[in-house]
Amino acid sequence: MAEVALEGRGLQFSASGSPLVHGVSTALVGGAVLGIIGPNGAGKSTLVKLLIGQLTPDAGEVTLMARPLFDWPRRERAALIGHLPQHFEPHWDYRVDELLRLGLDRAGPRASSLADLAANFGLVPILKRHWSTLSGGERARALAAAVLAPDPPVVLADEPAAALDVGQAAALMARLGKLADGGAAVAVVVHDLNLAARWCDRLLLMEGGRAVMEASPAEVLESPELDRVFATRFQRVALPGGGMVLAPGEAAG
Amino acid sequence: MIFLLPVIGLAAGLLLGAETLSPAEMLALVTDPDTPMSHLILQWRLPRVLAAGCVGALLALGGAIFQGVFRNPLAEPYLLGSAGGAAVGATVALLVVLPFSAALALPLLAFLGAWGATWLVLAMARLTGRASIAALLLAGVAVAAVLAAVRSFLMLALSDETVSLQAVLSWALGGVQTPSWPELGLLGALTVAAVALSQSLARGLDLLGLGEGLAESFGLAVRRFVALAVLAAAFIVAVSTVWGGLVGFVGLMAPHLARWRHGPLHGGLMPRAAAIGAGLVMLCDGLARAVLPPAEIPLGLVTALIGGPFFLLILAREVRRG
Repeated sequence: MAEVALEGRGLQFSASGSPLVHGVSTALVGGAVLGIIGPNGAGKSTLVKLLIGQLTPDAGEVTLMARPLFDWPRRERAALIGHLPQHFEPHWDYRVDELLRLGLDRAGPRASSLADLAANFGLVPILKRHWSTLSGGERARALAAAVLAPDPPVVLADEPAAALDVGQAAALMARLGKLADGGAAVAVVVHDLNLAARWCDRLLLMEGGRAVMEASPAEVLESPELDRVFATRFQRVALPGGGMVLAPGEAAG
Repeated sequence: MIFLLPVIGLAAGLLLGAETLSPAEMLALVTDPDTPMSHLILQWRLPRVLAAGCVGALLALGGAIFQGVFRNPLAEPYLLGSAGGAAVGATVALLVVLPFSAALALPLLAFLGAWGATWLVLAMARLTGRASIAALLLAGVAVAAVLAAVRSFLMLALSDETVSLQAVLSWALGGVQTPSWPELGLLGALTVAAVALSQSLARGLDLLGLGEGLAESFGLAVRRFVALAVLAAAFIVAVSTVWGGLVGFVGLMAPHLARWRHGPLHGGLMPRAAAIGAGLVMLCDGLARAVLPPAEIPLGLVTALIGGPFFLLILAREVRRG
Protein backbone atom coordinates (compact mmCIF):
# COMPACT_ATOMS: atom_id res chain seq x y z
CA MET A 1 0.00 0.00 0.00
CA ALA A 2 1.28 3.45 -0.91
CA GLU A 3 2.66 5.52 1.94
CA VAL A 4 0.71 8.45 3.37
CA ALA A 5 2.88 11.55 2.87
CA LEU A 6 0.62 14.30 4.17
CA GLU A 7 -2.45 13.80 6.29
CA GLY A 8 -5.04 16.11 7.83
CA ARG A 9 -7.27 14.75 10.58
CA GLY A 10 -10.40 16.47 11.85
CA LEU A 11 -9.33 19.87 10.52
CA GLN A 12 -11.35 22.86 11.60
CA PHE A 13 -10.76 26.50 10.80
CA SER A 14 -12.89 29.60 11.30
CA ALA A 15 -12.38 33.22 10.31
CA SER A 16 -14.35 36.08 11.88
CA GLY A 17 -16.62 33.50 13.52
CA SER A 18 -17.54 31.73 10.25
CA PRO A 19 -16.40 28.11 9.94
CA LEU A 20 -14.49 27.76 6.66
CA VAL A 21 -13.34 24.16 7.14
CA HIS A 22 -15.24 21.87 9.48
CA GLY A 23 -14.00 18.44 10.54
CA VAL A 24 -12.25 17.52 7.28
CA SER A 25 -9.93 14.50 7.19
CA THR A 26 -7.98 13.53 4.10
CA ALA A 27 -4.65 12.05 3.10
CA LEU A 28 -2.20 12.48 0.24
CA VAL A 29 -0.46 9.24 -0.68
CA GLY A 30 2.68 8.83 -2.72
CA GLY A 31 2.11 8.01 -6.37
CA ALA A 32 -1.46 9.37 -6.53
CA VAL A 33 -3.25 12.60 -7.43
CA LEU A 34 -6.06 13.72 -5.14
CA GLY A 35 -8.46 16.15 -6.79
CA ILE A 36 -10.28 18.56 -4.48
CA ILE A 37 -13.54 19.70 -6.06
CA GLY A 38 -16.53 21.70 -4.94
CA PRO A 39 -18.39 24.94 -5.66
CA ASN A 40 -17.02 28.38 -4.75
CA GLY A 41 -16.84 28.86 -0.99
CA ALA A 42 -16.62 25.12 -0.32
CA GLY A 43 -13.39 25.59 1.65
CA LYS A 44 -11.01 24.04 -0.90
CA SER A 45 -8.33 26.75 -0.80
CA THR A 46 -8.57 27.01 3.00
CA LEU A 47 -8.05 23.25 3.23
CA VAL A 48 -4.92 23.54 1.06
CA LYS A 49 -3.59 26.37 3.24
CA LEU A 50 -4.16 24.22 6.34
CA LEU A 51 -2.42 21.26 4.74
CA ILE A 52 0.69 23.27 3.81
CA GLY A 53 0.86 25.06 7.18
CA GLN A 54 -0.01 28.52 5.89
CA LEU A 55 -2.95 28.49 8.30
CA THR A 56 -3.01 26.88 11.74
CA PRO A 57 -6.11 24.75 12.36
CA ASP A 58 -8.40 25.62 15.28
CA ALA A 59 -8.74 21.88 15.84
CA GLY A 60 -7.29 18.77 14.25
CA GLU A 61 -3.77 18.03 13.13
CA VAL A 62 -1.68 17.85 9.97
CA THR A 63 1.17 15.36 9.77
CA LEU A 64 3.94 15.29 7.17
CA MET A 65 5.68 11.93 6.83
CA ALA A 66 3.92 10.86 10.08
CA ARG A 67 5.40 13.81 12.01
CA PRO A 68 3.34 16.86 13.06
CA LEU A 69 3.69 19.47 10.32
CA PHE A 70 4.80 22.28 12.62
CA ASP A 71 7.49 20.09 14.22
CA TRP A 72 9.41 20.19 10.93
CA PRO A 73 11.99 22.97 10.64
CA ARG A 74 10.56 25.61 8.33
CA ARG A 75 13.25 25.19 5.64
CA GLU A 76 12.90 21.41 5.56
CA ARG A 77 9.15 21.76 5.27
CA ALA A 78 9.67 24.19 2.40
CA ALA A 79 11.81 21.64 0.56
CA LEU A 80 9.35 18.79 1.17
CA ILE A 81 6.13 20.56 0.13
CA GLY A 82 5.67 22.35 -3.17
CA HIS A 83 2.71 24.73 -3.25
CA LEU A 84 1.38 26.14 -6.51
CA PRO A 85 -0.80 29.07 -5.44
CA GLN A 86 -4.08 30.12 -6.98
CA HIS A 87 -2.88 33.62 -7.80
CA PHE A 88 0.70 34.70 -8.30
CA GLU A 89 1.94 38.11 -9.36
CA PRO A 90 5.44 38.97 -8.12
CA HIS A 91 5.88 42.47 -6.72
CA TRP A 92 9.08 42.97 -8.70
CA ASP A 93 9.52 42.16 -12.36
CA TYR A 94 11.78 39.11 -11.84
CA ARG A 95 13.45 37.41 -14.79
CA VAL A 96 12.66 33.72 -15.27
CA ASP A 97 16.17 32.66 -14.23
CA GLU A 98 15.91 34.79 -11.06
CA LEU A 99 12.63 33.13 -10.18
CA LEU A 100 14.10 29.67 -10.72
CA ARG A 101 17.10 30.54 -8.57
CA LEU A 102 14.80 31.51 -5.69
CA GLY A 103 13.05 28.17 -6.09
CA LEU A 104 16.34 26.25 -6.24
CA ASP A 105 17.70 28.04 -3.15
CA ARG A 106 15.50 26.00 -0.85
CA ALA A 107 16.56 22.68 -2.36
CA GLY A 108 19.90 22.52 -0.57
CA PRO A 109 22.72 20.32 -1.83
CA ARG A 110 20.42 18.01 -3.79
CA ALA A 111 19.33 20.85 -6.07
CA SER A 112 19.38 20.19 -9.77
CA SER A 113 21.15 22.79 -11.86
CA LEU A 114 19.37 25.82 -13.20
CA ALA A 115 20.03 24.61 -16.74
CA ASP A 116 18.47 21.20 -16.06
CA LEU A 117 15.46 22.75 -14.40
CA ALA A 118 14.93 25.18 -17.27
CA ALA A 119 15.28 22.40 -19.83
CA ASN A 120 12.84 20.19 -17.94
CA PHE A 121 10.14 22.87 -18.04
CA GLY A 122 10.89 24.14 -21.54
CA LEU A 123 12.10 27.50 -20.25
CA VAL A 124 15.54 27.71 -21.89
CA PRO A 125 14.49 30.19 -24.62
CA ILE A 126 12.84 32.54 -22.11
CA LEU A 127 15.30 32.35 -19.21
CA LYS A 128 16.30 36.03 -19.52
CA ARG A 129 12.78 37.34 -20.10
CA HIS A 130 10.99 39.34 -17.42
CA TRP A 131 7.76 38.12 -15.80
CA SER A 132 5.76 41.03 -17.26
CA THR A 133 6.61 39.92 -20.80
CA LEU A 134 5.52 36.26 -20.41
CA SER A 135 2.31 34.73 -21.73
CA GLY A 136 -0.09 32.92 -19.38
CA GLY A 137 1.32 29.52 -20.33
CA GLU A 138 4.93 30.67 -19.93
CA ARG A 139 4.08 32.11 -16.50
CA ALA A 140 2.47 28.85 -15.42
CA ARG A 141 5.56 26.89 -16.51
CA ALA A 142 7.97 29.32 -14.84
CA LEU A 143 6.03 29.27 -11.57
CA ALA A 144 5.72 25.48 -11.63
CA ALA A 145 9.47 25.19 -12.24
CA ALA A 146 10.26 27.48 -9.27
CA VAL A 147 7.84 25.67 -6.97
CA LEU A 148 8.90 22.19 -8.05
CA ALA A 149 12.64 23.02 -8.20
CA PRO A 150 13.57 21.00 -5.07
CA ASP A 151 11.68 18.01 -6.45
CA PRO A 152 9.32 17.97 -3.44
CA PRO A 153 7.70 14.63 -2.52
CA VAL A 154 4.44 16.45 -1.69
CA VAL A 155 2.80 18.87 -4.12
CA LEU A 156 -0.39 20.88 -3.58
CA ALA A 157 -1.78 23.01 -6.37
CA ASP A 158 -4.64 25.45 -5.84
CA GLU A 159 -6.51 25.89 -9.12
CA PRO A 160 -3.29 26.03 -11.12
CA ALA A 161 -5.20 25.82 -14.39
CA ALA A 162 -7.64 28.65 -13.67
CA ALA A 163 -5.98 31.22 -15.95
CA LEU A 164 -4.82 28.78 -18.63
CA ASP A 165 -6.35 27.78 -21.95
CA VAL A 166 -7.49 24.19 -22.50
CA GLY A 167 -4.18 22.96 -23.92
CA GLN A 168 -2.07 24.67 -21.26
CA ALA A 169 -4.33 23.35 -18.50
CA ALA A 170 -4.05 19.80 -19.85
CA ALA A 171 -0.26 20.13 -20.08
CA LEU A 172 -0.04 21.32 -16.48
CA MET A 173 -2.28 18.51 -15.21
CA ALA A 174 -0.20 16.03 -17.20
CA ARG A 175 2.89 17.36 -15.46
CA LEU A 176 1.29 16.90 -12.05
CA GLY A 177 0.27 13.38 -13.10
CA LYS A 178 3.85 12.67 -14.10
CA LEU A 179 5.06 13.82 -10.68
CA ALA A 180 2.70 11.30 -9.07
CA ASP A 181 3.96 8.61 -11.45
CA GLY A 182 7.40 9.42 -10.09
CA GLY A 183 6.20 8.77 -6.53
CA ALA A 184 5.09 12.23 -5.38
CA ALA A 185 1.90 12.73 -3.39
CA VAL A 186 -0.14 15.33 -5.28
CA ALA A 187 -3.31 17.24 -4.43
CA VAL A 188 -4.91 19.67 -6.82
CA VAL A 189 -7.89 21.97 -6.42
CA VAL A 190 -9.66 21.90 -9.75
CA HIS A 191 -12.81 23.52 -11.06
CA ASP A 192 -12.95 21.65 -14.37
CA LEU A 193 -14.53 18.30 -13.50
CA ASN A 194 -13.38 16.76 -16.77
CA LEU A 195 -9.77 17.59 -15.97
CA ALA A 196 -10.36 16.08 -12.54
CA ALA A 197 -11.86 12.93 -14.08
CA ARG A 198 -8.97 12.57 -16.52
CA TRP A 199 -5.99 13.21 -14.21
CA CYS A 200 -6.97 12.40 -10.62
CA ASP A 201 -6.83 9.04 -8.87
CA ARG A 202 -9.24 10.09 -6.12
CA LEU A 203 -11.60 12.99 -5.65
CA LEU A 204 -12.58 14.83 -2.48
CA LEU A 205 -15.93 16.59 -2.90
CA MET A 206 -16.42 19.54 -0.54
CA GLU A 207 -19.38 21.72 0.32
CA GLY A 208 -19.69 24.48 2.94
CA GLY A 209 -16.35 23.61 4.55
CA ARG A 210 -17.21 19.92 4.94
CA ALA A 211 -16.07 16.82 3.07
CA VAL A 212 -19.13 15.35 1.33
CA MET A 213 -17.37 12.27 -0.02
CA GLU A 214 -13.92 11.03 -1.02
CA ALA A 215 -13.76 8.19 -3.52
CA SER A 216 -12.57 7.23 -6.99
CA PRO A 217 -13.39 9.72 -9.78
CA ALA A 218 -15.99 7.38 -11.27
CA GLU A 219 -17.81 7.02 -7.95
CA VAL A 220 -17.80 10.75 -7.20
CA LEU A 221 -18.73 11.88 -10.69
CA GLU A 222 -21.59 9.40 -10.98
CA SER A 223 -22.93 10.23 -7.53
CA PRO A 224 -26.13 12.28 -7.23
CA GLU A 225 -24.29 14.19 -4.48
CA LEU A 226 -22.31 15.92 -7.22
CA ASP A 227 -25.51 17.31 -8.78
CA ARG A 228 -26.81 18.37 -5.39
CA VAL A 229 -23.58 20.11 -4.34
CA PHE A 230 -23.20 22.01 -7.62
CA ALA A 231 -26.97 22.63 -7.87
CA THR A 232 -27.11 21.39 -11.44
CA ARG A 233 -28.16 18.21 -13.23
CA PHE A 234 -25.01 17.06 -14.98
CA GLN A 235 -25.24 15.24 -18.30
CA ARG A 236 -22.86 12.29 -18.14
CA VAL A 237 -21.57 11.02 -21.48
CA ALA A 238 -19.68 7.74 -21.42
CA LEU A 239 -16.55 7.67 -23.59
CA PRO A 240 -15.92 4.69 -25.91
CA GLY A 241 -12.58 3.86 -24.27
CA GLY A 242 -13.92 4.14 -20.72
CA GLY A 243 -14.38 7.17 -18.50
CA MET A 244 -16.91 9.92 -19.02
CA VAL A 245 -17.38 13.55 -19.88
CA LEU A 246 -19.60 15.81 -17.77
CA ALA A 247 -21.59 18.73 -19.07
CA PRO A 248 -23.66 20.95 -16.77
CA GLY A 249 -27.36 20.63 -17.44
CA GLU A 250 -30.31 22.54 -16.00
CA ALA A 251 -30.07 24.17 -12.64
CA ALA A 252 -31.39 21.75 -10.06
CA GLY A 253 -34.40 22.68 -7.97
CA MET B 1 30.33 51.66 -13.56
CA ILE B 2 27.94 52.06 -10.62
CA PHE B 3 30.76 51.38 -8.18
CA LEU B 4 32.70 54.31 -9.67
CA LEU B 5 29.97 56.72 -8.58
CA PRO B 6 31.32 57.15 -5.02
CA VAL B 7 34.71 58.04 -6.52
CA ILE B 8 33.08 60.57 -8.86
CA GLY B 9 31.02 61.92 -5.95
CA LEU B 10 34.11 62.20 -3.79
CA ALA B 11 35.95 64.13 -6.50
CA ALA B 12 32.97 66.44 -7.06
CA GLY B 13 32.49 66.92 -3.30
CA LEU B 14 36.14 67.88 -2.88
CA LEU B 15 36.14 70.29 -5.83
CA LEU B 16 32.84 72.00 -5.08
CA GLY B 17 32.44 74.45 -2.24
CA ALA B 18 32.42 78.11 -1.27
CA GLU B 19 35.66 78.14 -3.20
CA THR B 20 35.27 75.75 -6.11
CA LEU B 21 38.53 74.32 -7.37
CA SER B 22 39.59 73.02 -10.75
CA PRO B 23 41.05 69.48 -10.91
CA ALA B 24 44.49 71.01 -11.56
CA GLU B 25 44.22 73.22 -8.46
CA MET B 26 43.13 70.21 -6.41
CA LEU B 27 46.09 68.19 -7.67
CA ALA B 28 48.44 71.01 -6.71
CA LEU B 29 46.95 71.18 -3.22
CA VAL B 30 47.24 67.45 -2.69
CA THR B 31 50.86 67.39 -3.80
CA ASP B 32 51.68 70.34 -1.54
CA PRO B 33 49.83 69.61 1.70
CA ASP B 34 51.45 72.39 3.73
CA THR B 35 49.41 75.31 2.39
CA PRO B 36 46.48 76.63 4.45
CA MET B 37 44.12 75.81 1.58
CA SER B 38 45.23 72.18 1.36
CA HIS B 39 44.89 71.94 5.13
CA LEU B 40 41.35 73.25 4.81
CA ILE B 41 40.52 70.77 2.07
CA LEU B 42 42.05 67.73 3.80
CA GLN B 43 40.97 68.50 7.39
CA TRP B 44 37.62 70.08 6.75
CA ARG B 45 36.21 69.27 3.31
CA LEU B 46 37.46 65.67 3.00
CA PRO B 47 35.93 64.28 6.23
CA ARG B 48 32.68 66.09 5.49
CA VAL B 49 32.49 64.64 1.97
CA LEU B 50 33.25 61.16 3.31
CA ALA B 51 30.56 61.58 5.99
CA ALA B 52 28.12 62.67 3.26
CA GLY B 53 28.99 59.50 1.34
CA CYS B 54 28.24 57.35 4.38
CA VAL B 55 24.94 59.16 4.98
CA GLY B 56 23.99 58.63 1.33
CA ALA B 57 24.85 54.93 1.47
CA LEU B 58 22.81 54.52 4.68
CA LEU B 59 19.80 56.32 3.23
CA ALA B 60 19.96 54.12 0.13
CA LEU B 61 20.16 50.93 2.20
CA GLY B 62 17.28 52.08 4.41
CA GLY B 63 15.21 52.84 1.32
CA ALA B 64 16.07 49.51 -0.34
CA ILE B 65 15.02 47.59 2.77
CA PHE B 66 11.78 49.57 3.15
CA GLN B 67 10.92 49.09 -0.53
CA GLY B 68 11.61 45.38 -0.20
CA VAL B 69 9.67 44.94 3.04
CA PHE B 70 6.65 46.94 1.89
CA ARG B 71 7.01 45.70 -1.69
CA ASN B 72 6.34 49.26 -2.59
CA PRO B 73 8.54 51.20 -5.02
CA LEU B 74 7.61 54.50 -3.36
CA ALA B 75 8.60 53.52 0.17
CA GLU B 76 11.57 55.45 1.54
CA PRO B 77 12.68 56.65 4.99
CA TYR B 78 11.63 60.27 4.46
CA LEU B 79 8.18 59.59 2.98
CA LEU B 80 7.40 56.79 5.45
CA GLY B 81 7.97 59.08 8.39
CA SER B 82 10.79 56.99 9.83
CA ALA B 83 13.35 59.73 9.20
CA GLY B 84 10.89 62.18 10.79
CA GLY B 85 10.62 59.88 13.80
CA ALA B 86 14.39 59.74 14.07
CA ALA B 87 14.49 63.54 13.85
CA VAL B 88 12.00 63.90 16.73
CA GLY B 89 14.06 61.49 18.81
CA ALA B 90 17.24 63.35 17.97
CA THR B 91 15.64 66.74 18.71
CA VAL B 92 14.60 65.51 22.15
CA ALA B 93 18.14 64.26 22.73
CA LEU B 94 19.58 67.64 21.70
CA LEU B 95 17.18 69.85 23.65
CA VAL B 96 16.12 67.93 26.73
CA VAL B 97 18.39 67.36 29.70
CA LEU B 98 18.37 63.60 30.11
CA PRO B 99 19.76 61.49 32.95
CA PHE B 100 22.23 59.78 30.63
CA SER B 101 24.95 60.98 28.27
CA ALA B 102 24.00 62.92 25.15
CA ALA B 103 26.36 60.74 23.07
CA LEU B 104 24.17 57.76 23.94
CA ALA B 105 20.85 59.58 23.95
CA LEU B 106 21.12 60.93 20.39
CA PRO B 107 21.47 57.61 18.51
CA LEU B 108 19.20 55.76 20.94
CA LEU B 109 16.31 58.21 20.76
CA ALA B 110 16.77 58.61 16.99
CA PHE B 111 16.51 54.82 16.62
CA LEU B 112 13.43 54.60 18.84
CA GLY B 113 11.83 57.46 16.92
CA ALA B 114 12.50 55.84 13.53
CA TRP B 115 11.27 52.46 14.69
CA GLY B 116 8.13 53.79 16.35
CA ALA B 117 7.19 55.99 13.39
CA THR B 118 7.63 53.14 10.91
CA TRP B 119 5.38 50.82 12.89
CA LEU B 120 2.83 53.60 13.29
CA VAL B 121 2.73 54.13 9.52
CA LEU B 122 2.48 50.41 8.88
CA ALA B 123 -0.33 49.99 11.42
CA MET B 124 -2.25 52.94 9.97
CA ALA B 125 -1.82 51.64 6.43
CA ARG B 126 -3.03 48.19 7.48
CA LEU B 127 -6.22 49.66 8.91
CA THR B 128 -7.35 49.86 5.31
CA GLY B 129 -6.98 46.09 5.00
CA ARG B 130 -3.64 45.85 3.28
CA ALA B 131 -0.56 48.03 2.94
CA SER B 132 -1.31 49.35 -0.56
CA ILE B 133 0.80 52.07 -2.14
CA ALA B 134 -1.83 54.75 -1.55
CA ALA B 135 -2.52 53.71 2.05
CA LEU B 136 1.17 53.59 2.87
CA LEU B 137 1.90 56.98 1.33
CA LEU B 138 -1.07 58.70 2.93
CA ALA B 139 -0.22 57.22 6.31
CA GLY B 140 3.41 58.29 5.79
CA VAL B 141 2.40 61.85 4.89
CA ALA B 142 0.11 62.08 7.94
CA VAL B 143 2.67 60.69 10.37
CA ALA B 144 5.46 62.84 8.88
CA ALA B 145 3.28 65.97 9.24
CA VAL B 146 2.48 65.20 12.88
CA LEU B 147 6.14 64.45 13.62
CA ALA B 148 7.25 67.69 11.94
CA ALA B 149 4.77 69.61 14.10
CA VAL B 150 6.01 67.83 17.24
CA ARG B 151 9.60 68.62 16.28
CA SER B 152 8.83 72.29 15.63
CA PHE B 153 7.02 72.54 18.95
CA LEU B 154 9.93 70.97 20.78
CA MET B 155 12.36 73.31 19.08
CA LEU B 156 10.34 76.40 19.99
CA ALA B 157 9.51 75.29 23.50
CA LEU B 158 12.83 73.87 24.56
CA SER B 159 15.60 75.74 22.77
CA ASP B 160 17.36 78.41 24.79
CA GLU B 161 20.58 80.32 24.62
CA THR B 162 22.58 77.18 25.36
CA VAL B 163 21.23 75.39 22.29
CA SER B 164 21.13 77.39 19.09
CA LEU B 165 17.77 77.10 17.35
CA GLN B 166 19.57 77.86 14.13
CA ALA B 167 21.85 74.83 14.60
CA VAL B 168 18.95 72.46 15.29
CA LEU B 169 16.93 73.89 12.41
CA SER B 170 19.75 73.56 9.90
CA TRP B 171 20.30 69.99 11.04
CA ALA B 172 16.59 69.23 10.65
CA LEU B 173 16.61 70.62 7.11
CA GLY B 174 19.29 68.13 6.24
CA GLY B 175 22.97 68.78 6.34
CA VAL B 176 26.20 66.98 7.05
CA GLN B 177 28.57 68.65 9.48
CA THR B 178 32.30 68.06 9.33
CA PRO B 179 33.00 65.25 11.76
CA SER B 180 36.21 64.66 13.68
CA TRP B 181 38.28 61.75 12.35
CA PRO B 182 37.22 59.43 15.24
CA GLU B 183 33.57 60.33 14.59
CA LEU B 184 34.08 59.62 10.91
CA GLY B 185 35.65 56.27 11.83
CA LEU B 186 32.57 55.39 13.88
CA LEU B 187 30.23 56.45 11.06
CA GLY B 188 32.29 54.42 8.57
CA ALA B 189 32.15 51.35 10.81
CA LEU B 190 28.38 51.73 11.23
CA THR B 191 27.99 52.06 7.46
CA VAL B 192 29.97 48.86 6.88
CA ALA B 193 27.79 47.17 9.53
CA ALA B 194 24.69 48.44 7.72
CA VAL B 195 25.92 46.99 4.41
CA ALA B 196 26.49 43.61 6.12
CA LEU B 197 23.10 43.81 7.86
CA SER B 198 21.29 44.59 4.62
CA GLN B 199 23.09 41.71 2.86
CA SER B 200 21.84 39.33 5.53
CA LEU B 201 18.29 40.42 4.69
CA ALA B 202 18.69 40.06 0.93
CA ARG B 203 17.32 36.55 0.46
CA GLY B 204 14.30 37.23 2.66
CA LEU B 205 13.52 40.41 0.73
CA ASP B 206 13.78 38.49 -2.55
CA LEU B 207 11.31 35.91 -1.25
CA LEU B 208 8.95 38.61 0.04
CA GLY B 209 8.88 39.95 -3.52
CA LEU B 210 7.09 36.74 -4.50
CA GLY B 211 4.21 37.62 -2.13
CA GLU B 212 3.70 36.55 1.46
CA GLY B 213 2.03 33.24 0.58
CA LEU B 214 4.76 31.95 -1.71
CA ALA B 215 7.48 33.39 0.54
CA GLU B 216 6.03 31.36 3.44
CA SER B 217 5.91 28.20 1.37
CA PHE B 218 9.51 28.84 0.23
CA GLY B 219 10.52 28.74 3.91
CA LEU B 220 10.45 32.38 5.05
CA ALA B 221 8.93 33.16 8.47
CA VAL B 222 7.27 36.27 7.05
CA ARG B 223 6.06 38.02 10.22
CA ARG B 224 9.33 37.52 12.07
CA PHE B 225 11.34 38.57 9.03
CA VAL B 226 9.32 41.77 8.49
CA ALA B 227 9.73 42.71 12.17
CA LEU B 228 13.48 42.11 11.93
CA ALA B 229 13.84 44.01 8.66
CA VAL B 230 11.91 47.04 9.99
CA LEU B 231 14.16 47.03 13.05
CA ALA B 232 17.27 46.90 10.84
CA ALA B 233 15.99 49.68 8.58
CA ALA B 234 15.10 51.84 11.60
CA PHE B 235 18.66 51.42 12.90
CA ILE B 236 20.13 52.38 9.53
CA VAL B 237 17.83 55.39 9.14
CA ALA B 238 18.61 56.52 12.70
CA VAL B 239 22.36 56.49 12.01
CA SER B 240 21.89 58.45 8.78
CA THR B 241 19.61 60.97 10.51
CA VAL B 242 21.98 61.50 13.44
CA TRP B 243 24.79 62.42 11.01
CA GLY B 244 22.85 63.95 8.13
CA GLY B 245 19.55 65.30 9.44
CA LEU B 246 16.45 64.98 7.30
CA VAL B 247 17.61 64.23 3.76
CA GLY B 248 14.73 63.23 1.55
CA PHE B 249 14.36 61.16 -1.62
CA VAL B 250 17.86 59.59 -1.68
CA GLY B 251 16.34 56.43 -0.21
CA LEU B 252 13.84 56.49 -3.06
CA MET B 253 16.14 57.26 -5.98
CA ALA B 254 19.17 55.10 -5.21
CA PRO B 255 17.37 51.71 -4.92
CA HIS B 256 15.35 52.52 -8.04
CA LEU B 257 18.41 53.30 -10.11
CA ALA B 258 20.14 50.18 -8.77
CA ARG B 259 17.10 48.02 -9.60
CA TRP B 260 16.94 49.53 -13.06
CA ARG B 261 20.59 48.65 -13.74
CA HIS B 262 20.88 45.37 -11.86
CA GLY B 263 17.40 43.88 -11.48
CA PRO B 264 15.37 43.24 -8.34
CA LEU B 265 17.48 40.64 -6.50
CA HIS B 266 18.62 42.35 -3.32
CA GLY B 267 22.02 40.65 -2.95
CA GLY B 268 23.32 42.72 -5.86
CA LEU B 269 20.89 45.61 -5.52
CA MET B 270 21.92 46.66 -1.99
CA PRO B 271 25.62 47.41 -2.59
CA ARG B 272 24.77 49.15 -5.87
CA ALA B 273 22.11 51.27 -4.17
CA ALA B 274 24.62 52.15 -1.45
CA ALA B 275 27.18 53.20 -4.08
CA ILE B 276 24.63 55.35 -5.91
CA GLY B 277 23.39 56.90 -2.64
CA ALA B 278 26.94 57.67 -1.53
CA GLY B 279 27.86 59.30 -4.86
CA LEU B 280 24.60 61.24 -5.01
CA VAL B 281 24.80 62.73 -1.51
CA MET B 282 28.49 63.62 -1.89
CA LEU B 283 27.60 65.48 -5.09
CA CYS B 284 24.53 67.14 -3.57
CA ASP B 285 26.52 68.19 -0.49
CA GLY B 286 29.10 69.78 -2.81
CA LEU B 287 26.32 71.63 -4.65
CA ALA B 288 24.84 72.76 -1.32
CA ARG B 289 28.16 74.40 -0.51
CA ALA B 290 28.83 75.80 -3.99
CA VAL B 291 25.51 77.29 -5.15
CA LEU B 292 25.30 80.40 -2.92
CA PRO B 293 28.82 81.00 -1.56
CA PRO B 294 29.74 81.76 1.12
CA ALA B 295 26.35 80.61 2.44
CA GLU B 296 25.30 76.96 2.35
CA ILE B 297 21.90 75.80 1.35
CA PRO B 298 20.50 72.78 3.23
CA LEU B 299 21.43 69.41 1.76
CA GLY B 300 17.82 68.26 2.11
CA LEU B 301 16.75 71.10 -0.17
CA VAL B 302 19.12 69.98 -2.95
CA THR B 303 18.05 66.32 -2.73
CA ALA B 304 14.38 67.34 -2.67
CA LEU B 305 14.84 69.46 -5.82
CA ILE B 306 16.31 66.45 -7.62
CA GLY B 307 14.27 63.73 -5.92
CA GLY B 308 10.85 65.39 -5.98
CA PRO B 309 10.43 65.19 -9.76
CA PHE B 310 11.86 61.65 -9.66
CA PHE B 311 9.20 60.70 -7.11
CA LEU B 312 6.46 62.21 -9.27
CA LEU B 313 7.68 60.26 -12.31
CA ILE B 314 7.55 56.97 -10.40
CA LEU B 315 4.19 57.86 -8.87
CA ALA B 316 2.77 58.54 -12.35
CA ARG B 317 4.12 55.19 -13.57
CA GLU B 318 2.64 53.34 -10.62
CA VAL B 319 -0.74 55.04 -11.00
CA ARG B 320 -0.75 54.13 -14.73
CA ARG B 321 -0.03 50.51 -13.78
CA GLY B 322 -2.93 50.61 -11.31
